[in-house]
Amino acid sequence: MIRVEHLVKDYGHVKALNDVSFEVEKGEIVGFLGPNGAGKTTCVKTITGYISATSGRVLVDGLDVATHSVEVKRKIGYLPENAPLYLDMTPREFLEFAGEVRNIRGDALIKRVKEVAEQVGLAERLDWEIGTLSKGYRQRVGLAQAMLHDPPILILDEPTTGLDPNQIVEIRQLIKSLGQNRTVILSTHNLHEVVQTCNRVIIIHRGRIVADGTPKEIQAKHGGSKTVVLSVIESGKSGQEIKALLSGVEGVRSVEGPTGGVDSSLTFKVVAEDPTEVRPRLFKAISEAGMVLTELRDESLDLEAIFQRLTMD
Amino acid sequence: MGKIWTIAKKELHAYFSSPIAYIAISIYLILVGVTFFFKIPFLFPKENFFEAREATLRPLFQWSVVLMAVLLPAISMRLFAEEKKDGTLELLMTMPVSDFQVVMGKFVGALAFLAVALGLTVGYVILVFALGKPDIGPLLGGYFGVFLMGGGFLAIGLMASAWTKSQIVAFVVALVISGFLLFADRIPELFGLGGVQLFNLLSFNYHFESIARGVIDSRDIVYFLSVMALALEITRYTLESRKWR
Repeated sequence: MIRVEHLVKDYGHVKALNDVSFEVEKGEIVGFLGPNGAGKTTCVKTITGYISATSGRVLVDGLDVATHSVEVKRKIGYLPENAPLYLDMTPREFLEFAGEVRNIRGDALIKRVKEVAEQVGLAERLDWEIGTLSKGYRQRVGLAQAMLHDPPILILDEPTTGLDPNQIVEIRQLIKSLGQNRTVILSTHNLHEVVQTCNRVIIIHRGRIVADGTPKEIQAKHGGSKTVVLSVIESGKSGQEIKALLSGVEGVRSVEGPTGGVDSSLTFKVVAEDPTEVRPRLFKAISEAGMVLTELRDESLDLEAIFQRLTMD
Repeated sequence: MGKIWTIAKKELHAYFSSPIAYIAISIYLILVGVTFFFKIPFLFPKENFFEAREATLRPLFQWSVVLMAVLLPAISMRLFAEEKKDGTLELLMTMPVSDFQVVMGKFVGALAFLAVALGLTVGYVILVFALGKPDIGPLLGGYFGVFLMGGGFLAIGLMASAWTKSQIVAFVVALVISGFLLFADRIPELFGLGGVQLFNLLSFNYHFESIARGVIDSRDIVYFLSVMALALEITRYTLESRKWR
């Protein structure tokens, strides 16, 4: 549906995008994740045709954005960063304008505006001047505009910044429900947003894609070695003896430690082929040796830590 | 065409939902009325409308032209500068419209505004008809000329507005270009330069005068249309250049 090929964008000396390629299939909700200034917005602006890439190209349904910009724009509903709007219009006037530009007219337009307004929870504010609306309502106006023509593709740039927690939950639910029958690209620097709404994550850092996949895949790939952390209470056995015992357990590759815990326990790091299989064996070995286990957990990185590690420096 | 008109309507709506339209139209109508009662130094130093005892709207048109060189840049300054500042340009440009349609839509909207302002001078026309028998030719020619000239000023203003985020900067730049083009025919005289023909050809005033006399010469029309086309094309190019920066 969307094919991004070797996108490069130079702003003077700064490379905002540096060889970015990916593909988005119909029905996916993709989260663009990255720290501020990573290139998310530049990428989004290129897909929508607002700016052109220095090199590389974007194809939407096989159409090149650079040469078929109007056709491509017809297929896309776009909420730009900060939801810019005409403040002197009412949401109704604005949505009717957006509808006319998209060739929805007459009764069909009036009906559609009402429908969309109800969907985003804007119905009772339709005739207020946009300038007097709160940030949350403005975001809804922007969203209503993006979905007005029922586009197969929705692109939302930071749709929840500036909203309060309740509004955030509402908008995320809305995005999720919208994503059931269309393609959604959601740009955000908020990890939880991605985990909660998207079925695929693309992490961008310094204009490059550093990870791409479902949250699980990313965790598996970038989660580091498979380590189990294990603590036992001292039981007359020396640390080296325990270490030897642990190393003998089936499936264990290596054992680090011991390091002293806060109390009188000893902590070991056990690297294993498959932590889930090895954990019960470790437990059994420890208890059979008459020792008391106080801690046993996986140490693979969670998504937050992976994100931090991938986007540091 | 539909999309151009949709954008034009949006601009017209924006004008009449802000005070600037009403202020500009009021200033214009009041100052134009002044020609009936006062001499205007530099332009018509001789006598006012009633003293001249001549049923003509010529002073009104000539004075209009000067007023418009000042007022129309104030009308056109917001067209792109405001959208750039508020970020709405991105919203507009990512709707399924071409850059050309956006430029034309805004231009047509501003022209419609100009037509409204000119339409409101009809009271003066009625007054002149009540007092005497003016020639129809110069009357129609005058309106036509003012409209063409206004279109030129608006196109220049639109271009200046696309160059900046600041409405004030857009206004000043448009004012300077408009003022220069308007009075280009007086430059050789004022500064003792040669090239009278060239400056005449460049000048709004020179081409306007001949239309206002009621003589419709295609060269004058072509001149104004060329100014508009050039300014609008530069505007479109400026807009497109956002993509490459």
